[in-house]
Amino acid sequence: MWGIVLIALAVLAVRRVWLGYPATGAEFAVLAPREEAFLQAAAEALFPPHERLPLSGGQADLPGYADRYLAVLPRRQRTLIRALFALFEHATLLWPGKGRGGFKRFSALLPEQRLGVLRDWQSSSLALRRLCLTALKAILILGYVGHSESLAALELAPWKIESPRVEADFLYPPIGGRRDQISRAGKPLGGAPTAPPLMPGLDQEAP
Amino acid sequence: MSSEASEDGEVRVFSDYTRDFEEDADVVIVGSGPSGSVVAYELAKAGHKVVLIEEGPPFTPQEFRADGNISMARTMREGGLRSTTGTFMPILQAICLGGGSLINSAMCVRPPAFIFDEWSTRYELDHTTRADLDPHYDAVSEFLGIAPTPEDVQGPRNLLFRQGCDALGIASEPVDRNVRGCRGSGECFSGCRARAKQSMDISYIPEAMKFGARVLTSLQVQGVLGEGRRVGGVEGRVVEPFSGRTSHAFRVRARWVVLAAGCMATPVLLQKSGNLANTSGQVGRNLQFHPGSAVAGVFPESIDPIFGGTQSYQSLAFLEEGFKLETMWSAPAALAVRMPGVGTELVQRFGELPRTAIWDAIASTHRSLGTVKARFRSLNPVIRWTLHPEDIKVMLRSIHVLAQIFFAAGAEKVLPGVGGLADEMHSLEEAEVLRDYAIRPGDLVTASSHVFCTTRMHGDPAQGVVDEEGRCHGYDNLYIADTGIFPRCPSVNPMLTVMALAHRQAQSLVERV
Repeated sequence: MWGIVLIALAVLAVRRVWLGYPATGAEFAVLAPREEAFLQAAAEALFPPHERLPLSGGQADLPGYADRYLAVLPRRQRTLIRALFALFEHATLLWPGKGRGGFKRFSALLPEQRLGVLRDWQSSSLALRRLCLTALKAILILGYVGHSESLAALELAPWKIESPRVEADFLYPPIGGRRDQISRAGKPLGGAPTAPPLMPGLDQEAP
Repeated sequence: MSSEASEDGEVRVFSDYTRDFEEDADVVIVGSGPSGSVVAYELAKAGHKVVLIEEGPPFTPQEFRADGNISMARTMREGGLRSTTGTFMPILQAICLGGGSLINSAMCVRPPAFIFDEWSTRYELDHTTRADLDPHYDAVSEFLGIAPTPEDVQGPRNLLFRQGCDALGIASEPVDRNVRGCRGSGECFSGCRARAKQSMDISYIPEAMKFGARVLTSLQVQGVLGEGRRVGGVEGRVVEPFSGRTSHAFRVRARWVVLAAGCMATPVLLQKSGNLANTSGQVGRNLQFHPGSAVAGVFPESIDPIFGGTQSYQSLAFLEEGFKLETMWSAPAALAVRMPGVGTELVQRFGELPRTAIWDAIASTHRSLGTVKARFRSLNPVIRWTLHPEDIKVMLRSIHVLAQIFFAAGAEKVLPGVGGLADEMHSLEEAEVLRDYAIRPGDLVTASSHVFCTTRMHGDPAQGVVDEEGRCHGYDNLYIADTGIFPRCPSVNPMLTVMALAHRQAQSLVERV
C-alpha cells in the first residue's frame, strides 16, 4: 500500500517539476525550459507594461539575460541561484496563489495570481521569504532596467567614453589572452592620465 | 618542480604558465590590493627582489562590464554572492589585479584622532596615533594625487546632499579621492573607463614593476611554507580566471612573507597552513564590518543623477555616534534593485530614477562580531556574524538622519528601505517613526565591503595576531598587511588607512630586509 503511495507521489513530483514545459526553441547555455518558463512568468508579473518604459518584462528577454549571468557564475553560486528559481516555481505548494488552481506551479498561474504570490513574498512576516524575493528581484531588475532601451527611455544610458591608453594598458593582455596580444596601438600617456570628456550615451544630453 | 622564473619587472598572466614552476625572492607579497601594492612598491624601490602574487587577472577597460550582475560575477569573489551567515549580509570582495581599488569609489578618508586614541588605549598600540600615521597618509596621498572632489564634477545629487546638510547645520565636505582628472562619469564601481581613478593596477603596481617587482597574476596561494619562528615562502596553484579551475603547481621561496590577501583570505590561508601564527587563538576571530544602509530620495525635478562623482560628498559629523554619511551612485539598474514593490508600483518607481538620489550610511558596528573559518576543501570562508541590537539602533538612527537631510534638500519623498515600515515617507513627520521603531536585523537591507579585525593588531601577543609593524607575534619574517590587522573598525572608508599602515610596515621591512 505505502509503496503505491510513494510511487504515485514520485510520479506527481516528476510531472510537476519536469514535465509540461513548452519548448520555445531558445538555446541557453545553462537554463532548462522549466527555468525559462519561470523567469518569463516572473518577468511578466514584476514588470508589466508601463508608459514610462518602452519594454515590459515579458519583452525584455530576461531568461536570456539570466542565462548569460548564470554562465559566468562559479558553480556553487550558479546552483544556488537555480535553486532560488525552483523555490519560487514550486513554493505555491506552501503559499498558493489566490483562487482556483492556486497550487499550480508559478509559471502556470494566471497573471493576477502570480502578482499576488509575489506580493505575499514581499509582505511576508518571514525575513527569509522577503530576502528571497529581494534576490530574485535583483537578478531580474538588473536585466530589465539595465536593458539598453530601458536606460535610453530613462535618460540614464552610460556615457560614451573612449578610454585613454595609460602606461599600464601596455602591460596587461586581454583576460585569457597572451601578452603578445597586447595592442600596441597608440602611445602610453606620460605622467598622469587625462580623463576624456563625457559624451552622451544614446539619447542623453551632455551635462 | 622545474624552474620557469619570471624576469624582473615582468607581469605574468594565466596563459604564461605552461608547467609547474618555482621562484625566489627577497619578499613575496600575497595580494595586490591597496596594501600589498604599497608594500611591493616601497620594497622594490628600496632595491629588494619582490614577487607580488594576485589570484585574479588584470582588467583593462575593454574587460569592464556596465551590467551590475556580470561585472560583479567577473570581479568579485564567489561571483559577487559572498555573504555572512547568522545575520545575513552580502559582502563584496574583489578578485583582480589591484584588488578593491579597481572597483571601489576611490574614497580616501583619514579617521579622526579619537579613533586611533581608542586603538592605542584598548589594544596597547603605543605608536599608532593619528600623529604617528600622518606622515604615511601624506606619502600615499602624494603618490596617488589624493585631493577633494572639485565642484565641477560633483553633479546635482552630491550637491543636494550638501544643501540638505547645510540647511540642518550638519557639517559636510567633498570627499578626498585617488583620482586624476575625473569627469564625473559615476562608474567607479564597475571600473573607471576614463582611467581617472588611480587604482593600484595603474598606479603603484606599474611603478613597482619599474623597480623590478615581478607581478604574478592568476596564482592561488594555498599554503605558507615554514617551520618554527620562520616562514620560507608560499605555494599554490595556477588558477584560471573566472572558472577558478586550478592547474600547475608553483612555489615562491622568500626570506620574508607579507600576507595582504584580505581580511577573509588571510586568516583562511593561515588556518590552511597548519593554523599558523595563532598562538593567541585570535586568527579568524573579532570579525567586524561597516554595514551600509542606503536610503533613496525622490526630488520634484530630474537631478541628472548619472552625472557626478560616484561618492563625492560626505559627512563625518556623526562618527562619534557610530556612523558616517555619504552620497552614492552606481549603475542605474543596480540602484533600482533598491526599489520596493512588485508589478506596476515597481515599474512606476523605475520611472522616478532620473529624479532619485541615493545616499547611504556606513555604521561602525564594533559590538557586532563574527568569525572566519576555512570551508571544507575550499579556500572560501565560512563567515558567521551577528548584528548586535545596539548596533541596529545606530543604523536606524543613521537612516533617520538621512531622511531628514533628504527633506531638508527638497525631496518630495523618501524610501527608507526598512522592513515593516511604509515603503515611502512623504514628510518629516512620517519619518519620525524611524526614531523609535523596534527594528529587527531582518528589517534592514544592508551590505558591506569594509571588513576588519580577523588578524588584529594588539600589543599583547596573547590577544592579537600581529604587532604594530604588522609582524606576526612569534615570527621573525611573517607579516600581515590588510584590513584584518585593524584592531577595531575605523568608522570611515578604510582604503587610505590600510595603505598608510602598509607604508609604515614597508619602511620597517626595508630596514629589516
